[in-house]
Amino acid sequence: MTVPTKAGVTEVNIEVKQSAMGMQGFHSKADFWGQSTLWMLIVMSFVPPIYFSFILGYHPGWGAIIGGLIGYAAFIGIMWFLEPITYYPVLGKSGTYIAFLTGNIANMCMPCSAAAQESVGADPGTKKAEIAGTLGIAVASLTNIVVVIAVVLSGSYILTIIPQSVQNALQFILPAIYGGVLGQFALKKPLYGLVAFVIGMAVLFAPIFSLIKIVLCVAITIAVVLFLEKSKGSVSE
Amino acid sequence: MDEVLRFANSAPVWIFASIVVAIVIFQAVVFIRIATQTAPNIGMTKDETKRALRTGFISSLGPSFGIAIVIISLIAVLGGPFTLMRIGIIGSAATELTAAGIGANAYGVDLNSPDFGLKAFTTVVWTMCLGGTGWLIFTALATKSLGKVEKKIVSKNAKMMTIVSTAAMLGAFAYLASQQMVKGYSESVAAIVAGLSMMFILSFARKREIRWLQEWALGISLVIALTVSYLTTLI
Repeated sequence: MTVPTKAGVTEVNIEVKQSAMGMQGFHSKADFWGQSTLWMLIVMSFVPPIYFSFILGYHPGWGAIIGGLIGYAAFIGIMWFLEPITYYPVLGKSGTYIAFLTGNIANMCMPCSAAAQESVGADPGTKKAEIAGTLGIAVASLTNIVVVIAVVLSGSYILTIIPQSVQNALQFILPAIYGGVLGQFALKKPLYGLVAFVIGMAVLFAPIFSLIKIVLCVAITIAVVLFLEKSKGSVSE
Repeated sequence: MDEVLRFANSAPVWIFASIVVAIVIFQAVVFIRIATQTAPNIGMTKDETKRALRTGFISSLGPSFGIAIVIISLIAVLGGPFTLMRIGIIGSAATELTAAGIGANAYGVDLNSPDFGLKAFTTVVWTMCLGGTGWLIFTALATKSLGKVEKKIVSKNAKMMTIVSTAAMLGAFAYLASQQMVKGYSESVAAIVAGLSMMFILSFARKREIRWLQEWALGISLVIALTVSYLTTLI
């Protein structure tokens, strides 16, 4: 009799603890699960190359591998550091863990996060926004993986069901997504929307290394908006 | 090339891909769980939680099908399971194709040359798989610290984070939209029509307090923008 009672009590305790999980608890759980899933994936990333090199025996030699990695790092390596930092203010902690694991950050994760925040009327950067955004991104990650699995398994068959006109229209999906999200935020802050757009165009045509342009655009927009807010007196140090 | 694809599509590679997919699904489910558990404690109602989930789903449909169309080009080069692994996790089709090209060149061949054999393919696999871990490692190590910086800012001035988040979002999407718009007339039309539709639908939904329309706003805007920009290609 005592054993089940004890078990019951602990269960109730756990439930109470869980239901009382505030933002602090959420963040430490997000850190734990975010980091462990990322490390799992990092380990898994080594499995296919090792399999091809040493199990199948098609090792191309370390020279070629290192050459390939250096080429890759030169091509996009700077984004390993800049992207997570740049997108952090938008994605928040938990959003960052999901978005960088699942990929398609700008074209799917951020728009879905913003849409979910909008649907519950949460201001970006607040607790509510982080929870709503997390839900939005996590569902998007699931939807995306299901669609990608379906496409990969069916091969090009799925393309034969989608009419050619729809496929042609889908080539404009990126400008539509980016324009739509910009519209959502410009509606709230029309002046800042305009400021950001001018900065965006200016940076786009500036003769700088193209990969860091988006980082620069985000940084300049934050600086200008903060300056404008400060001169309005709404942000006091 | 046929031999390469035979190995790229072999059972062990499918198993690796399944494990990667399982990690992605597992993570999403865990985060939905912990976010749902936290929601009531920060003043989010059950209804709002459901609404956030529903909006995430609706809004992800357009982007997902956009991604699906692009990955067909990758399947031809990498085979099914590697495409699943690379797109299921960090990476975009354009990045991965370039990475594949870099890997092949490091071995001394071109991606679509007849000499592209299994050793060249193995170089490609190393380049793509380890190159992609850059983001994963940095995110795993640095996100906690970024959270501390955020906390400091919020504790000083709670409104500051809202402003920084909004500005970061505007900056990123202003740049991304500009970059697409200069590509051509139809791209500009797509961005402008989507932006205007979004503004119109959201302000209409807010004024009349039509909740479901708010959830569908991005989805509907995408469909309108795609339709109009497609029509411009026919003229």
